[in-house]
Amino acid sequence: MKRTVIDTHNISKVYNPETIPVYAVNDVHLHLTEGEFTALVGPSGSGKTTLLNMIGGLDRPDTGRILINGVDITRLSKGELIDFRLHNIGFVFQSFNLIPVLTARENAEFILLLQGIRKKEREERIKQLFREIGLEEKMNERPARLSGGQQQRVAVARALASKPDFILADEPTANLDSVSASHLLDLMATLNREEKMTFLFSTHDQRVIERARRVITLVDGRIVSDTDAVPTDEVHQVI
Amino acid sequence: MILTMAWRNIWRNRTRSIVIMLSVAIGMLAGTVVLALYKGMMQGRVRTVIDTETAHLQLHHPAFSKDYHPSFVLPETDRFLSTLPGIIHVSHRSIVQGMLVTPTGSAGVEIYGIIPEQENPVSALDRKITAGKSFSSGNSHEIIVGKKLAGKMKLKTGSKLVLTFTDSSNYLVSAAFRVCGLYQSANAPRDELMVYTPKAVLNELLLTGNSCHETAILLQHDERLDSVQTALKKAFPSLLVENWKEITPETELMVKTVDEYSYIIMAIILFALAFGVLNTMLMSVLERTREIGMMMALGTSGTRIFLLILAETLILTIAGTPAGLAAAYFITGYFGKYGLDLSGMGEDMMASFGYSTMIYPSFPGEKLSGIVIMIAATAVLSALLPALKALRMQPVDSLRR
Repeated sequence: MKRTVIDTHNISKVYNPETIPVYAVNDVHLHLTEGEFTALVGPSGSGKTTLLNMIGGLDRPDTGRILINGVDITRLSKGELIDFRLHNIGFVFQSFNLIPVLTARENAEFILLLQGIRKKEREERIKQLFREIGLEEKMNERPARLSGGQQQRVAVARALASKPDFILADEPTANLDSVSASHLLDLMATLNREEKMTFLFSTHDQRVIERARRVITLVDGRIVSDTDAVPTDEVHQVI
Repeated sequence: MILTMAWRNIWRNRTRSIVIMLSVAIGMLAGTVVLALYKGMMQGRVRTVIDTETAHLQLHHPAFSKDYHPSFVLPETDRFLSTLPGIIHVSHRSIVQGMLVTPTGSAGVEIYGIIPEQENPVSALDRKITAGKSFSSGNSHEIIVGKKLAGKMKLKTGSKLVLTFTDSSNYLVSAAFRVCGLYQSANAPRDELMVYTPKAVLNELLLTGNSCHETAILLQHDERLDSVQTALKKAFPSLLVENWKEITPETELMVKTVDEYSYIIMAIILFALAFGVLNTMLMSVLERTREIGMMMALGTSGTRIFLLILAETLILTIAGTPAGLAAAYFITGYFGKYGLDLSGMGEDMMASFGYSTMIYPSFPGEKLSGIVIMIAATAVLSALLPALKALRMQPVDSLRR
């Protein structure tokens, strides 16, 4: 039986609760096990990013519980959440969000330094990661000298560096051209297949949805469908 | 990595960082030059006090300082003083308070009976004479008057005046004197009060024989002050042995006060600079809202964020310091050698406070550690608000920007 990685119970997030309540996420139950490659889809404003933020411990639900590897992160303090994110969750953001003053290598190494990993181990891990993302020759370049696709691959390397339980990716291909997006999806699929890395990504991108093995559709903050195989045309209609 | 990031962040906006570093350098230069000027003024004032006013040490009868009665004379001290190492000059003075009377008015004065050969090396009286000359002989009824007093009493060289005072037997004595010279020192209030006559003449009028009321002692080195004073106290336990700090406590107080003022001036300069640094850091933090939010999202603790901002502020603040201090060192070195003439600011005004118009600034090396601590404190204070701003950021809000 596969280990449960993410387990949410009745989580809701409401804005303007005292005037005109707007439910960004409404009573969501979500269960992800290790090794899943799951896409969270839905129209703009459907609550995808809010849900990802709450699962990633960046935002707190107004009601409900979020269990990550059995730990209820809604009960953690701000400091405990920072530490929890560092050791358990990898993030890939839509606009790459690399630290511009650090090289590609230093961006990935930054996480390992925060974790207190020794230099030798750090170097081995970084070499291996950059080999996996195919950017060994660009390791010492600053983000400004990398293409969008290359930057996002570095962001994936950074997310993987801490050996997290899962990676949350918020619209990872939104700012990429089709070739770069395809390369990134290949990379993530390979990591999922070979390293059993769990991925949960929000997306509008049909190419991403086609590669997902599970697709969860959100509308107005509610899960309206959760399927293992989604015909492309149905997803189109929802989006 | 925090330091590397801090250093590189500083250079993200090169112009802004260079401007703030230059501000710090100029602030340090201005502050240190002011400290050097103050130090030079104080050193000059202390030298004036020792070399031309009080000498290093003075001996008095304990009762003399209370009412200046001429009967409180000193015993013979020369034999012991000549054996004591470190003493280079000694002047025995007779002193009495009296009234100077001229056809145009009168003024209260302190009459000093001196032996020019003894007095000149101790108080440089001969170098202060601006008109006329010293006494023609040790027995002439001649007087040297301060230029300011002479102006007030309409005296010039050759003028006659009468001094009236009480002798050691409490009889009122009056004697006529002719002005042989006018003097001017760096201390105008003293010039208005003190007049000099030959000691033998004054002693004859006071009926004090060959004795004196004050023995002024000049040492070879300032450092010998404590040891010589201790030896004198031991040798003459019945006498009052005072050093220049005890004789003119206002000078010592002024040195200490100005020392404290100089720190206050530096603090004001740094306070003004702190706003510049704070503004720069605040802009820098606000420009990086998204980046800082992302760092927090990835698991960077608040302490690390604070350290990053503190390191950036420290680099920004401290980078300009060596340049400012070095410039101050060379500028004060130049003027320390050739002097800074402030006579344009008002010679009379400076003299009324006992200061020379020629200042020799002295680099305040002994204050460097204090200055560096103050700069570090400025940097920490300037970092607090930007750091708090950063720590209050919520990753989820910052990432939306």
